[in-house]
Amino acid sequence: MEIKLDPRTKIFMIFVVSAIVMMSVTTPFLWGLKIVTTMVPIALLIAEKRYASALRFFALYISALILTFYFLSSESTGLIRALLTGYCGIIAQFLPAFITAWYVIHSTKIDEFMAAMQKMHVPDGITISLAVVMRFFPTIKEEYGSIRDAMKMRGISLAGGNAAKMVEYRMIPLLFSCVNIGDELSAAAITRGLGGNVKRTSVVELKLHVFDWVLILLFSIATVIFVLNKYILL
Amino acid sequence: MDKKKLTAKDFITVGIFTAIVFVVEFACGILGFIHPYIVASYVVMIPIVGSIPMMLFYSKVDKFGMITIMSVLIAIIMFVTGMGFLGAPLIIIAGVVADLIAKTGDYKQFKMISISYAVFCLWICANYFPVIVTANSYRESLTEEGFSAEYTDSLFRAINSKTIWVLLILCLIFGYIGSYIGKIVVKKHFEKAGIV
Repeated sequence: MEIKLDPRTKIFMIFVVSAIVMMSVTTPFLWGLKIVTTMVPIALLIAEKRYASALRFFALYISALILTFYFLSSESTGLIRALLTGYCGIIAQFLPAFITAWYVIHSTKIDEFMAAMQKMHVPDGITISLAVVMRFFPTIKEEYGSIRDAMKMRGISLAGGNAAKMVEYRMIPLLFSCVNIGDELSAAAITRGLGGNVKRTSVVELKLHVFDWVLILLFSIATVIFVLNKYILL
Repeated sequence: MDKKKLTAKDFITVGIFTAIVFVVEFACGILGFIHPYIVASYVVMIPIVGSIPMMLFYSKVDKFGMITIMSVLIAIIMFVTGMGFLGAPLIIIAGVVADLIAKTGDYKQFKMISISYAVFCLWICANYFPVIVTANSYRESLTEEGFSAEYTDSLFRAINSKTIWVLLILCLIFGYIGSYIGKIVVKKHFEKAGIV
């Protein structure tokens, strides 16, 4: 099944999920809702044929939830249990936002994203910078991987236990390659007419389809329920 | 073209450095899971480690708006990663003020850049806002979401409405110190290589 979502729907999803993770969950019903909203991006990942990452996120989220609910409570003491509670809490709280962001970054092409932002009349400066940020996280990861490999080969990964050196050895090469990539990116952007004075046109035609509306509706309802629970019923 | 107008190249520079600064923040943030006191020490770690990319960034800034845009981006990313929107005003105000301060030095005087960076570092304190502003409900939600009582207690001992002022001031001080460290590192590596 091929589902092509409009970037605007995805942005809306990000906002809703990020707002929901901040709200405290008090009743089983709300927990259920939270879990359902988390399952949506996972399902979308499956639709994108990213089975491995979908499975990984699913397993991580479910195990964090199970651990939180059945094995740990706020009274658990001892270092390992305390750490474990902390980790599971953090995973259960932040993973939904992380999955959604991951899905959006990996499934949105930059030109689609730019077109969507333009349609929403976001200032060019924010759009371009944000697009670069989105594109850049995977690049940083890749570059960092190569730097680590290079350090391993030379046997200086730990820099003799000197923390300042450890930071320096990683940061400097990373900055070097990022600056260079940035220059290339600027050149590429200018050939695509970014920063010109005319309104850019886009090859991608953006349109909200039925599925977009279904998701928007679903997430809006979830938001309303959470807000009602937080500010009115309590 | 008007010299004061931001070009696509500037926006891309902002994007790149925002990504790097955020990676630094994220790396330090992970350490915070170990113990809450480390969460409080963000105000020391992030200004100093982050100073290296930021000083390189400052060397590329020459127009008003770049630092402001960076702060807006950080606010957006913080929201998306689940830190809430309470800190957003602080982040953006810090960004605008930092931008104005650096502008008085024409983005070249190092004295002004130092102060500007120190002010910019205040955005780190936005991390603590959910802890302070919504102290009671946040505490509840932390315990419910499975943080151990120990963790929560120490977190609130380290960060509350009294210590936030200390943390803010520490942010300023270490931002100022960090700017010197960053400058040394940038000089050592990048100026010699001719990137700056």
